[in-house]
Amino acid sequence: MQDITKIRKGLDIPLEGCARKIVSDARSIGLYAVKPTDYVGLAPRPVVAEGDTVLAGSPLFVDKNNACAKFVSPVSGTVKAVVRGEKRALLAVVVASDGRTECADSAPDDLALLSREQVRQRMVDSGCWTLLRRRPFGIVPLESDNPKAIFVSCFDSAPLAPDYDFVMMGREEDFGTGVEVLAKLTDGPVHLGMRPGQALSQLDYGPQVEIHFFEGPHPAGNVGTQIAAVDPIDKGDVVWTISPQEVAIVGHLFRSGQYRPEKLVALTGPCAASPRYYRIFSGAELDRLCGEQMASRKGCRLISGNVLSGTTLPLDSPTLAPFLGAHDDLVTLIPEGDYYEFMGWLMPGLSKFSFHRTFLSGWLRHLPGVERFLPKMRYDFDTNLHGEPRPLVMTGEFEQVFPFDIYPLQLLKAAIIGDVDLMENLGIYEVEPEDFALCEYIDPSKTDIQCIVRTALENIRKEGI
Amino acid sequence: MSLMDKNNQPLRRFIDRIKPTFAKGGRLPWLQSTFEGFETFAYTPNEVTHNGAHMRDAVDMKRSMITVVIALMPALLFGMWNVGHQYALATGDSLSWIAEWWFGFIRMLPLIAVSYVVGLAIEFSFAQIRGHAVYEGYLVTGLIIPMIVPISTPLWQLALAVAFAVVVGKEVFGGTGMNFLNPALVARAFLFFSYPTHMSGDTVWVSAKHFGDAVTGATPLGEIMASNAHSGQELLQGLSCSALDMFVGVIPGSVGETSVIAILLGAALLLLAGLASWRIMLGVVLGGGLMGLLFNAIGANAYMQLPFYYHYLMGGFMFGAVFMATDPVTAAQTNRGKWIYGLLIGAFAVMLRVLNPAYPEGMMLAILLMNCFAPLIDHCVVAGNIKRRRNRGRAR
Repeated sequence: MQDITKIRKGLDIPLEGCARKIVSDARSIGLYAVKPTDYVGLAPRPVVAEGDTVLAGSPLFVDKNNACAKFVSPVSGTVKAVVRGEKRALLAVVVASDGRTECADSAPDDLALLSREQVRQRMVDSGCWTLLRRRPFGIVPLESDNPKAIFVSCFDSAPLAPDYDFVMMGREEDFGTGVEVLAKLTDGPVHLGMRPGQALSQLDYGPQVEIHFFEGPHPAGNVGTQIAAVDPIDKGDVVWTISPQEVAIVGHLFRSGQYRPEKLVALTGPCAASPRYYRIFSGAELDRLCGEQMASRKGCRLISGNVLSGTTLPLDSPTLAPFLGAHDDLVTLIPEGDYYEFMGWLMPGLSKFSFHRTFLSGWLRHLPGVERFLPKMRYDFDTNLHGEPRPLVMTGEFEQVFPFDIYPLQLLKAAIIGDVDLMENLGIYEVEPEDFALCEYIDPSKTDIQCIVRTALENIRKEGI
Repeated sequence: MSLMDKNNQPLRRFIDRIKPTFAKGGRLPWLQSTFEGFETFAYTPNEVTHNGAHMRDAVDMKRSMITVVIALMPALLFGMWNVGHQYALATGDSLSWIAEWWFGFIRMLPLIAVSYVVGLAIEFSFAQIRGHAVYEGYLVTGLIIPMIVPISTPLWQLALAVAFAVVVGKEVFGGTGMNFLNPALVARAFLFFSYPTHMSGDTVWVSAKHFGDAVTGATPLGEIMASNAHSGQELLQGLSCSALDMFVGVIPGSVGETSVIAILLGAALLLLAGLASWRIMLGVVLGGGLMGLLFNAIGANAYMQLPFYYHYLMGGFMFGAVFMATDPVTAAQTNRGKWIYGLLIGAFAVMLRVLNPAYPEGMMLAILLMNCFAPLIDHCVVAGNIKRRRNRGRAR
């Protein structure tokens, strides 16, 4: 019997520029970087210097507070730069690839013979430990962690997200082995979240693995939504999460003995000339791809990740080139929206997309059967804020895009005032900022919700240490 | 139109040219918030996202507020015509319906103007002192206040009430989004308690030929209070208007509250636009109806015997249910809480009407009372969620 959960709350944003199912090879890119800013709460210390030779899998920097967190080079080559920013904060360690992608020689492992300790040690030494993320707090898992479960969301419902049926084609064995590795790491189940009929659901998994099917709009694909639906996190619980391509990288490590962080990354968005998938190594520099895809670099924003919770990459910065984010397999190019609009708040707004129904487009969208009579609605999507920040006024709206058993507005207000007890009571341990991304999207008061939630989580985490 | 053209129109160039005058270091920095208020009125700002989600919904507070103002228009426009119509009925002057509307429009205009000028002047000043943009909360409040006071309210009283409502009812707590009492009702309550003779009775509702003068014309609620009827039937027969009159709104009363049908049109817009909570509206209607039915069952005096649905038609019940109780800042903020809040408002409004000898209208007081209790209601609802979470953790 299929366990299908229908997610009713959420919103699909009809952004244009979905990646076509063609793959271009971008493995010849010459520069790669690992950035501490892609991770949460690190105190990074570089262990290489400029000019050092590294192999794929050699540590570049470590976390002073977490002995297990070794951040390794995705390719073999020479360390080109250790980039520091304000107050000597480490921004990136940049590696120039030698084109050979050598990694340290190692024999494949027979999983059946390994103990949990040995599997953990292998993950830590290879650098694969940093592919995992831990809830609460979203940090790299600690040595002392004993997770009650591991969750893998095998599909992504974010705007323009890659199609994992396409992405994981040919990597099923690596994925299966990776899931076996995950099963070794926890006493509890490994939960796989999938769409009904997804190709990965046809594989054979071990007894510890549970498959859950989800239907419905974004954020059905967010791992946080799936955790809340299957087994919510309570105070004191620890849950690990990891993305499907990262699972395949782990599986490849144990099957072949080689660390090879090769991914299919979708380059998408209204500004992309020919959106497609690229076969690419983690942390690659995106300058060349941007040059190919963007007619003009001015007036476009390059985002590593999706438009709701991705990070802006600098396009023409003298200090740092744009490098793909560590956990990201999506790049979005959207137009900047720094224009004025005459009486914009008064216009009927047929080309404005809105969750709310104060624009004509919103009404038409909600009327049943309209799609048959109207041409496909095209909306202008850009980075315009569409207003200015205001105090929180509207109520009852966040609840419509927040499929948790949590009161989002009350939790947000507790986070703003920093009331830790209230935040704990309201469920702060269950959420990550990306779970609030849709709330931030629809908010008429333009509050920086994800920022507030991340700050609150970091403050709680630091207080607890 | 390309990005360059959008930023290059003549009005935009003019604004950009005079902008430095109002910035820090310019000649008129104390007018910066005012300038920005007018600038963002003419042009939605060119701000882009910097943190978090890279795209945002097209709606903002201005859009939400302007939609509420549009929803108020049917009641306002009808109310203006009704002022003229009641005058014509009372004095025997016969006017065309356009002339009747114009009569009411001319008399409403000073009230609306005073409300907006005084209220916005105070809001602009606070924005400047606090160093932030002008918030749009007063766009709606400023229109509602003239719609809930008698047409013959002296302008100086209205100005005082507006000042009190904006300063003590809102700004003292931090401005838009921070208040706990509905500012429009604070203004009304200020007038009611400070100048009661101007606010009730039967000589304030129907305008006379000269500004500020009034002729005799009682509202249905007023008639019921003054009646000596012994039974519900007698009471109904003693009313000078029928249920249909009350539904359409051709009765004396405040400009916004008389016409149930115009208010329902506004309610439909608010619900379609998702700007007002249907839970609150339905809760108020159900609460009032249930309390009315309860009184019908008790039937101890003529007023209690009045069929329950008359409460919807008389006085400010529907206006309060649709436009005042649904104010998101001062209402309960959880969905379950909104039901409780709405039901209690409706129940208290009817109860205060029927049992309170001091004042015919209970809606204003009921909403203000529940404004005070809304945080408590939310607290109890959220406490249930907290308890559920705690028990879930303990069950492991």
